[in-house]
Amino acid sequence: MLKTYTFHVSGTYCASCKILIEDILNEQEFVKNARVNLKKETVEIETDGEKNPEELAELLTSKVKPNGYTLSVEKIIPARSATQRDAGGEENKKDDVVWKAIPIGLVFLALFFMLQKSGILSFGIGGKTTPATSFIVGLIASVSSCLAIVGGLVLSLSAKISQDNVSDTKTFLLFHVGRLVSFAVLGGVLGIIGNAIGINFTFTAILGLLASIVMLMLGLNLVGVLAKNKIALPSELFNFFRKIEHKTFTPLVIGFGTFFLPCGFTQSMQIVALSSGSFTSGMSIMFAFALGTLPMLALLSFGSSSFAHGKHAPLFFKSAGVVVIGLGLFALLAGLAGLGIINPLFSI
Amino acid sequence: MNKTVYIIIALALIVVIGIIFAGGAGSTQGVEIKDGVQYIKIDALGGYSPQVTEAKGGMPTKLVVATNGTYDCSASLVIPSISFRKILPQTGETEIDLGIFKTGETLKGLCGMGMYSFQINFN
Repeated sequence: MLKTYTFHVSGTYCASCKILIEDILNEQEFVKNARVNLKKETVEIETDGEKNPEELAELLTSKVKPNGYTLSVEKIIPARSATQRDAGGEENKKDDVVWKAIPIGLVFLALFFMLQKSGILSFGIGGKTTPATSFIVGLIASVSSCLAIVGGLVLSLSAKISQDNVSDTKTFLLFHVGRLVSFAVLGGVLGIIGNAIGINFTFTAILGLLASIVMLMLGLNLVGVLAKNKIALPSELFNFFRKIEHKTFTPLVIGFGTFFLPCGFTQSMQIVALSSGSFTSGMSIMFAFALGTLPMLALLSFGSSSFAHGKHAPLFFKSAGVVVIGLGLFALLAGLAGLGIINPLFSI
Repeated sequence: MNKTVYIIIALALIVVIGIIFAGGAGSTQGVEIKDGVQYIKIDALGGYSPQVTEAKGGMPTKLVVATNGTYDCSASLVIPSISFRKILPQTGETEIDLGIFKTGETLKGLCGMGMYSFQINFN
């Protein structure tokens, strides 16, 4: 016969956590139904097992622990874990952090745009494109205006993943491996296909717009505008988060997807790969390019992970949120201008 | 530090970013008339230069976009009003026939990602 137990669950403060916990718990054989209540931070479990509540709590905790959640019979107040406390009460302290985070985020944005405007990055690379030059182009690309979209996306996803306490190192490794491998393979494919196909402007532009919208949403979420009242995100985005957090496959796919994100450097390299004439040369050019962009992107993802587990975590998340919102807005306006929907508002 | 200080710093930074985004002044350099055809030359490398060009209206005009080892966004050129979208060769000059623009019209071009742009005013 079915019995219903209610446990307190710590670590759940976002809509995506709810889905993740429910998914994991429902996978257990003896659990018939699991329902998380975000507001009360409880989970209701229907089970036909013979275990007592304490045993059950311990058993289920062992399933969700890797993702950073704990189930208990009594409500426990987390001793440490700044992010959870931050999402909970302490309104005053939290307000303070937001006001501190805005100037910090803006400083990074100002430095970034100044770097673009300075012209330091705009030197030409002459001669034939070899894997060595593609590597250098990759290095430049990773700090160029492309960082606004690719880097912004990496930063926002990384911060979000670290914030949700999912095994982040593995996720980031998968993302970077996915990116390197797909650049190599797709570069090779472009090399074989030759000049037959072009890379579609509208397709990349739309993908860029989607990326910037994701960045804006994640940015707002990191700053706390969306998470504050635990407002659930629209269901498609909801599912998207769930996939990021839950599946091995998704970081690989997002790594693959970065091949198509609008970035002038990537597109130029794709053209070089196209005209290279063979699988091997196309592959080595795109792989070298992706390798060049790796240091900066790795710094962003693993950097956020180390900040996220440090004592300045709340400040980091909110500053990162401000940076991501800024870059997202920039990419959105630029993308709309690129499609010819609005007039270019600015020129760096 | 209190909230007010942070807000003042934030506002100052927004102004700085605004200044960074502000465009440049007009230029007539790079405009050349040969055999009754007006050639407007624009360099594409880390953005477009000059950003604003003053040209003559009412005459056949060709735009020459010069790349020089350009791998950045400015190589992927978009001119929405004439539906021109192309990734330019890394090094070389691309000639685009603009036809005849009337006096008072403007032409805007930008890179595929939309972060670099240029403008030609026909007076």
